Amino acid sequence: MEIKYVPTICPYCGVGCGMNLVVKDDQVVGVEPWKRHPVNEGKLCPKGNFCYEIIHRDDRLTTPLIKENGQFREATWDEAYDLIVSKFGEFDPNEIGFFCCARSPNENIYVNQKFARVVIGTHNVDHCARLCHGPTVAGLAASFGSGAMTNSYESFEHADLIFCIGSNSLEAHPLVGRRLLRAKYGNGAYLIVADPRYTPTAKHADQYVPFKTGTDVALMNAMMNVIISEGLEDKEFIEKRTKNYEELKEMVAKYTPEMAEEITEVPADTIRDMARKYAKADKAAIVYSLGITEHSHGVDNVQQTANLAMLTGNIGRLGTGVNPLRGQNNVQGACDMGALPTDYPGYRKVMDEEVTEDISCTWGCSDLGCEPGLKIPEMIEAAYKGDLKMLYITGEDPVISDPDVNHVIKALENLDFFVVQDIFMTDTAEYADVVLPAACWAEQEGTFTNGERRVQLIRKAVDAPGDSKVDWEIFCDLAKRMGADPEQFTYESAQDIFEEVRTVTPQYAGMNRERLEKPEALHWPCPSEDHPGTSMMHVEQFSHPDGLGIFAALEEKGPMETPDDEYPLILTTTRILFHYHAAMTRRAETLDREVPTGYMEINTEDAAELGIINDEIVKVKSRRGEIEIPARVTTDIMKGIVNIPMHFRECSANVLTNAAAIDPRSGMPEYKACAVAVSKMEGGK
Amino acid sequence: MIEVNDMFYAKSSDAAIADAGEYGGAVTSILKFLLKEGIVDAVLAVEEGADLYDAVPILIEDPDKVVKSAGSIHFGTLNLAKVVEKYLDGAQDMKIAVTVKPCDAMTMVELIKRERVNPDNVIMIGLNCGGTMPPVKSREMMEKFYEFDPDSVVKEEIAKGKLIVETADGTEKEIPIDDLEDEGFGRRTNCRRCEINIPTMADLACGNWGVIGPLAGKATFIEVCSPKGAEVLEKAKEAGALDLEEPIEKGITIRKNIDNAMVKLADKWQDADWEDVKGREIFSALTEYLPDFSRCIKCYGCREACPICYCDDCCLEAHNGPDWLSKGEIPPSPMFHLERMIHMVESCTNCGQCEEVCPSEIPLAKIWHEVNAKVKDNFGYVKGTGENKPPMGFFPMDKMPL
Repeated sequence: MEIKYVPTICPYCGVGCGMNLVVKDDQVVGVEPWKRHPVNEGKLCPKGNFCYEIIHRDDRLTTPLIKENGQFREATWDEAYDLIVSKFGEFDPNEIGFFCCARSPNENIYVNQKFARVVIGTHNVDHCARLCHGPTVAGLAASFGSGAMTNSYESFEHADLIFCIGSNSLEAHPLVGRRLLRAKYGNGAYLIVADPRYTPTAKHADQYVPFKTGTDVALMNAMMNVIISEGLEDKEFIEKRTKNYEELKEMVAKYTPEMAEEITEVPADTIRDMARKYAKADKAAIVYSLGITEHSHGVDNVQQTANLAMLTGNIGRLGTGVNPLRGQNNVQGACDMGALPTDYPGYRKVMDEEVTEDISCTWGCSDLGCEPGLKIPEMIEAAYKGDLKMLYITGEDPVISDPDVNHVIKALENLDFFVVQDIFMTDTAEYADVVLPAACWAEQEGTFTNGERRVQLIRKAVDAPGDSKVDWEIFCDLAKRMGADPEQFTYESAQDIFEEVRTVTPQYAGMNRERLEKPEALHWPCPSEDHPGTSMMHVEQFSHPDGLGIFAALEEKGPMETPDDEYPLILTTTRILFHYHAAMTRRAETLDREVPTGYMEINTEDAAELGIINDEIVKVKSRRGEIEIPARVTTDIMKGIVNIPMHFRECSANVLTNAAAIDPRSGMPEYKACAVAVSKMEGGK
Repeated sequence: MIEVNDMFYAKSSDAAIADAGEYGGAVTSILKFLLKEGIVDAVLAVEEGADLYDAVPILIEDPDKVVKSAGSIHFGTLNLAKVVEKYLDGAQDMKIAVTVKPCDAMTMVELIKRERVNPDNVIMIGLNCGGTMPPVKSREMMEKFYEFDPDSVVKEEIAKGKLIVETADGTEKEIPIDDLEDEGFGRRTNCRRCEINIPTMADLACGNWGVIGPLAGKATFIEVCSPKGAEVLEKAKEAGALDLEEPIEKGITIRKNIDNAMVKLADKWQDADWEDVKGREIFSALTEYLPDFSRCIKCYGCREACPICYCDDCCLEAHNGPDWLSKGEIPPSPMFHLERMIHMVESCTNCGQCEEVCPSEIPLAKIWHEVNAKVKDNFGYVKGTGENKPPMGFFPMDKMPL
């Protein structure tokens, strides 16, 4: 008998918890705590504890599938490759698009985007950050010069005050939630939670501030109004480290707490109180997540958090900072690896001719072009219109996770050719022409980069099932069949790929294998092998060329789609503790048993007006579509707002959401606000 | 003939092992001997993972690989009895020698009583324990209190009330354990309260306490605790795997004194933790902890880590009967913890696994330790020893009425 503990990283959220997979005679039979791991010290959430349950499932994809006459048939890799290669040849490069997989290791993503750019010749390469923290990447880059979390998770425990807005950390990022609990209960930090829902996180707040979804800009403008008018701003910090302050000051002048009360439904005195507390705390940290980003003004929201932090000098010290909690386990890495239509690895810009020339040279190709590619919503739209002919999706499931699912399905059906590479037959894969079986995280080596920019090794526990392959191997196979320079697509191992990543990604340059073997690993930027890594950014100066942070003066715009007589309620979409999207957690037996299907939260008063009782199946309708779903009648949500978790295809929140309302600065659709009508089912009593 | 209650100074007769193992490598030699002679099929021990702070269970079948587990890891906070039950089928089909701290040994005894581990197939090599330290927190302690690079630490031990730490370049620094623990560092809180330092419920109890004279630091003190232990030691001695000597009389006294001192320290911590609550009944205790239970996120980590939570069909997620708990509710009703309590608390050995894995920082071990103490008061049942079954409505799983 052989038993081994394989230390690796959880495959779900961006917190990046360490865990041991227990392997007994070539089967993963359990998860055991990795108490030595600095992020979580052996503690896990339910998703982590039961992540092993999906590895050996019978419904894993084990062989390529080709659709013929509407039915999938098993195929050999040769058949599948030949078909895909012939299709690649039929279309112009810009008629082809790629969604990369933010759940898979950096090495896969790197090769995927390199394949798209070098072999196909398109920058139409994107990933789900577009739909979670795209506004963070854009917004914090504009404010600070770098679009990532400024501090580490551990830093929260040093805060005197934590302002948590649009983040239900205890459910969505539980092991960060733990840091908040430790800060509050262990160290006496004051916790403010602003959210339209009285979430499990909000229930621990010293001050819970319910506010109307989508009015974040007004709320924070009013806070800054109070801070400036009461002289609580950090004048020295503003003077020495920032620019554009006067514009901000002028803008927020009109956002009195009373004016903001009208917009946000937060009492003016509450705004004053929270503003004073935030400004007066010696070390105040901002924590946010998709409640900030998933709006048609997501970048504005993000920049408001940066404004608040700069205004009060809460940057570059332990216990402070602007801390977006990243979504997927490797969504930070997917951004770092250049799975973005505008950026090469390391955020080097496609539009920059020098950069493009340099990259072309490194990758041995001649014509990469400086025109950025299409973002995910643009690719879906182009497919819908017939401009995008072929789509290659790795590990994404837009039929669950993208807005306006009916529209997405029409777009996918309109493609000439559609490839999905995944570990299960997802709702999206059903629409594919070819499905390729991929190895899951437990079946490969590589690195995940967590939300605090920590680049961590994952380790192979078992072989991938059947004929399934690691993503990078598939792209290398295809590249060679496409006639690409084999030298550019021949790698011995994931480590071999990572060595190349280090040469083109300056933030990763100093990360040799030996250093990453330590459980602490390294936070980027880590430009050289003698550099200790950077757990806290912007200590002396910001990342802009002049070292200054830039204030942004922003007007409240509010949601694009607002309630009216026909659709009188605002829908917000969320995630729950027991699921991470759908394809994996819904197949984990324990998690599925805990929460087998979706529900809609509705305020008791709204429910009473509609005559709806708890657990009653109701109809929810938006301008895009309608669903049937059990109601959960609760006082834990504001009147006028309903909430649907996004994981469940059979009562899919994203059938309702709006793909047309898009943040012009990031391409983020308005997931957190769309107008809906709720009604009883016909014949319902 | 070696008999129960005999005591020895022991060291390996293999120079390489004597060098690699601590205090003469006696434990390593015994394990190797058992494997080599085919007395056991495998050895379950602990090896260093990423570094000194990372304790990883290792199942060894090759006698020449036993040396990998040599040396002690004080940052190892595992419970190997759980590993035997969960991953090795309770040793039903293989003979295993296991290294056990007192809490592992007590847990094994409880699991044997509950017929989850086959006693005929397990040899417990006990290791004295004055408490273990959590890895990440201890690295912080090395920086904060010792001003050592945590990676430079090669050894630490608790002696005379001090935690003595040594670095690779030979620098040594000692700090009173009380000072560290008052600041929230040092041993795990469950270990601080633990009064069982010498695992006499194992087959052999091994450690360095009481080794004085010329062999000080070069031999292991072994107490024979069971006929099985006597037999193992006899065979190992006969085969020449071990050199045994009579212990110095004063050494035996010193060992006893160290044990007493540790028990006293545990009493001190029990007083500190329970000062205001001595004698209160269970409901008052549980009521006090309701705010802590309200932080629960129902991760099931405590259940997964608890060695006594072994049911295939757990009532916390019943799917063939009544829902004892609402599904998907955060925090779950306190019933989540109370059901677990009812099922495991009489056998709770204060091993601390539940509290260590709790993401919500609920002081679970402290709560269950207090309740278990009441089981002792009320039923006279002492966990982890003897042959009496746990007192409250105990059924072995395979005899559970439908």
